[in-house]
Amino acid sequence: MSHPGGTDDIEDADPGLAAERTELAWTRTAISFAAVGAALLRRHPLAGIPVLALSLLIWQLGRLPGSRGTGRAHTRRLQLITAGVTGIALAALVITLASGWE
Amino acid sequence: MSRADSPGSPEPSPGSPDPAGAAAGGEEREPDARFTWANERTFLAWSRTALALVVGGLAVAQLLPSFPGVPGARHIIGIPLIMLGAAIAVLSYTEWQANQRALRRGEPLPRSRLPRLLAGTIAVIALLATALALLSAVTSHP
Repeated sequence: MSHPGGTDDIEDADPGLAAERTELAWTRTAISFAAVGAALLRRHPLAGIPVLALSLLIWQLGRLPGSRGTGRAHTRRLQLITAGVTGIALAALVITLASGWE
Repeated sequence: MSRADSPGSPEPSPGSPDPAGAAAGGEEREPDARFTWANERTFLAWSRTALALVVGGLAVAQLLPSFPGVPGARHIIGIPLIMLGAAIAVLSYTEWQANQRALRRGEPLPRSRLPRLLAGTIAVIALLATALALLSAVTSHP
């Protein structure tokens, strides 16, 4: 949780590790979206194709070098993820409610 | 979740400059990039959790065989999971915002409400699923 001491932390010697972990987290997120898109593709291609496209976009955004501050573009990237998950949730609700109640 | 996924306490790193008059109330400055990244990774981890909940709910409603004798049982289990995923997606963004604000002001990080929400709702859904499975077993085998 907290950084004990701080001076022994390997990140102080190589702060690039934190950036790399963050890029890997973006890649994991993109893979998650791609898996969801692929799973939807067979039965619901109308939902699967946009999700696959979104996963490609997230993968690209995660590789964006530099300008990683808290600027507007940065906030937009995170808003895109939230909008993507809530959009998929809405689609899932529609698909579920449209299927038979048995 | 590893230590790296939590922002931790926002103590300034040894090398970061301390601008004059930083103690003045309400002053904001960019936090150490590592804290910004950690906050971002936490947000991404919660977003993946939300996505998994949505897909899990959809899979329950679409792929599970129907519970004999209990109409709508799969919907009763699946729809709350999907809603929980949507709620976590939105809340993880608002918590990212709150954490980022606290980091800029050098204030203590607000306590996250997400673990309690996730654990509580999953427990309720698990009890619900157990009750539905038992009900189905009782009504279909008299």
